[in-house]
Amino acid sequence: MESQVNLQEIKQVAPPPAKDTDVEVTVEYLPAAKPFHRTYDGTVTVGTVRSDAMTFFGVSDHRDRDTHQFFLEFNGQRLINMNQTLDQLLGPHRKGARFNLVEQITPGCAQS
Amino acid sequence: MTDPYPAIQHWLIPRSVLAETRKRVQEEGQNVRESGALWLGERGDAARVLAVVFPRGKGVEARADKWKVTPEVFGTLTRWAKPQNLSLLAVVHTHLNGVPPRLSRSDREYSVQVPGILAIVIGEGGAETDHQKWGWYLYERGNYRHLTAQDLSGHFMLEADHLFQTCEADADAVRELT
Repeated sequence: MESQVNLQEIKQVAPPPAKDTDVEVTVEYLPAAKPFHRTYDGTVTVGTVRSDAMTFFGVSDHRDRDTHQFFLEFNGQRLINMNQTLDQLLGPHRKGARFNLVEQITPGCAQS
Repeated sequence: MTDPYPAIQHWLIPRSVLAETRKRVQEEGQNVRESGALWLGERGDAARVLAVVFPRGKGVEARADKWKVTPEVFGTLTRWAKPQNLSLLAVVHTHLNGVPPRLSRSDREYSVQVPGILAIVIGEGGAETDHQKWGWYLYERGNYRHLTAQDLSGHFMLEADHLFQTCEADADAVRELT
């Protein structure tokens, strides 16, 4: 009986085997002590990764007197096409990607 | 889900960090424009400042009433800091003579807003030698809270000298200062 329970637990925690199309994504944010890690299918868009990372780091695009927007940066370049897939960004043979999350504050874009 | 912002109970600040910060922001601002520094360290129950970075040049906007660091500088800094397990602990900037060392509305809106981050304002263009007279603010529960002298004595420990890095950063690179 006990061993059956253990087998069930093992089934629950064991990650599914990685597919050829999986991409290991890491997003760093300077004030955070830990990075965001997740495995995505290569068809997932940059916008989805940005959104998931922002949720993890507890930040959001918002307006006060200014407009605050968060961007992913990859190889020193800001990513602006949120519809681009990870496959399109990384090419077919890349299995991992490391991004930085940065905040852009544009002054005076909101009415106070 | 792992908390990216573990609570900090104590900040450990080498005394030389205070002196180095004051010296370099004064040099940079020349009391005609604001200037600033970023304190980085390992974030945990006790957070020790291990690096002081002075953003200047490309990607930094400095005027008499504003000091702003662009995302490109933060990106460069992130690529430099994270392999060393360093996180941003505090954003320090100056106010010029006659402007109280208090966090203005603009300062609050422009500063990083995550739990446990410090915003520190040094008055007199960086010349104020008594750090107790600086403005110390902690971001918690969605706002910056001014820290009292009691908060400072309870949670901040000035250390005899502990090694730390001193660097400058712009949109292109982080460079060690000697």
